[in-house]
Amino acid sequence: MEAQQTSQTQSAKQNLLTKKDVQRSFWRWTFFSHSNYNYERMQSSGFLFALTPVLRKLYPHQTDLAAAMQRHLEFFNTEPHFGGIIGGLTIALEEQRALGAPIDDTAINSLKTGLMGPFAGVGDTLWQGTIVPIMLSLAISLSAGGNFVGPIFYIVGMFAIMWTIAYVLWMRGYYTGREGIQNILQGHQLKMVMQIAQIMGGIVIGALTVNYVTLSTPLKLHLENSTLKVQTGILDKLFKGLLPVAITLLAYYLINQRKLKSTTVLFILILIAAVGAGFYIF
Amino acid sequence: MKINLLQAFLIGIIYYLSVNGTPWLSLLGSTVMARPLICGMFVGFVLGNPIQGIIYGAAISLPFLAYISAGGTVPMDPGLAGTLGTALAMASKTTPNVAVTLAVPIGLLGTVIWIMHMTVDISFLHLIDKAAANADYRKADRIQMYLPQIFLLVITVIPAAVVVYFGSGPVAGLLTSLKGVPMHILNVIGGVLPALGIAMILKSINNKNILIYYAIGVILAVYLKLPIIAVSIIGLIIGLLHTQLEFKIVDK
Repeated sequence: MEAQQTSQTQSAKQNLLTKKDVQRSFWRWTFFSHSNYNYERMQSSGFLFALTPVLRKLYPHQTDLAAAMQRHLEFFNTEPHFGGIIGGLTIALEEQRALGAPIDDTAINSLKTGLMGPFAGVGDTLWQGTIVPIMLSLAISLSAGGNFVGPIFYIVGMFAIMWTIAYVLWMRGYYTGREGIQNILQGHQLKMVMQIAQIMGGIVIGALTVNYVTLSTPLKLHLENSTLKVQTGILDKLFKGLLPVAITLLAYYLINQRKLKSTTVLFILILIAAVGAGFYIF
Repeated sequence: MKINLLQAFLIGIIYYLSVNGTPWLSLLGSTVMARPLICGMFVGFVLGNPIQGIIYGAAISLPFLAYISAGGTVPMDPGLAGTLGTALAMASKTTPNVAVTLAVPIGLLGTVIWIMHMTVDISFLHLIDKAAANADYRKADRIQMYLPQIFLLVITVIPAAVVVYFGSGPVAGLLTSLKGVPMHILNVIGGVLPALGIAMILKSINNKNILIYYAIGVILAVYLKLPIIAVSIIGLIIGLLHTQLEFKIVDK
């Protein structure tokens, strides 16, 4: 015990679990994390479901097992791929606890709740905010004319990228343990990855606006002996893509600065487009 | 095109599989299925023309390109928009832009199903609580795997199949009768709606300099006409350079 405490509990050489156990939990999480997603405790029962085989192995006595199962039914919610690192870490902690290390319920739960927010933030920005829009816009351009290459590219690409990230992080959570994760959170690494994703995401989104938002005007100015098309003669000369970018920035302003709900902004956009189109401004 | 009962049922199943977190294709699989490009293709298969499905699905994907669901909130349901939007568009042979205008309001209705799912699941959670107190892991597993999914299956397949089966005729009739100004309005709305998805993602990226980077992207696409992959690589390089330099200064 003394040796264990001095070298921090998780670096103990003893193991009750095999790599297979940790992998099995990973797959249970990958498939069933959100099966019973609910407003009361979000992913809690999914988290328990992932850890159940591990807990059964660590706690052969029924009372210990019941306590362990209830412990993991506390509120839990994170981004399921990047946040998987918390699952791996929790398995490592439970293993040490079963071996007799002084880790109580509060320690495990406060660690889970402390980490779930930061990893959800990073995970959602990287996954839904960067990887998905880039992959999806590539897939959409590949599927022009109904080509199967686009959907197949998206399906294969997303599984390859996301399952690799999720698996590596889950296993890393188990092997690096508590200190390793604290270092990741405190160091620059996470902030740097996040900022690179933000910059890349912003640039890609700018290009997407031009490619996918369509808005133009059929207005014409009648001059003395000629007509001037407003779109090609004025707007395009000022800045191509002016109208699509303008309507997008208006939506961003309403959502971000005016804090309107996305549904409200949706109706405002529909109203602008409908009125504009009705009077042949667009 | 007439949609028969079996086709309507299969489209309902596709919608069920696209609900965030259905386990059978994995969590990730459900989010992949939720992209209108993907579920639109499968709807196309069911209706006998996957190529049309991809074309409509790709168009309907645009407003949801930058769709984000975080913390259990779902502002819209791209899976419902993609499945029903593609099915109704194929039944009425309309333009892709009109399909978008049709699909987005449908996507809003999907949030009702999501709220039911998230609320009723609480009662299954309480059953798992009881099983856990008795260390009955088999029962806890069974509840987690099946009960919420049976409930979800019922509240997704039935409404989707009903809308497709009974709605495709009237919607097709309505859209083919629309010409001139109303049709023009629907087309313009469909072109503008992707702006909402883009605005939502700009907000979620949450970086104070975001508009500077956004402007770089706009210029790369407008004046250099670069394809998305090239813009992504340039974005990655700029991100790497900026971040490395900034953290070098911070370290000193």
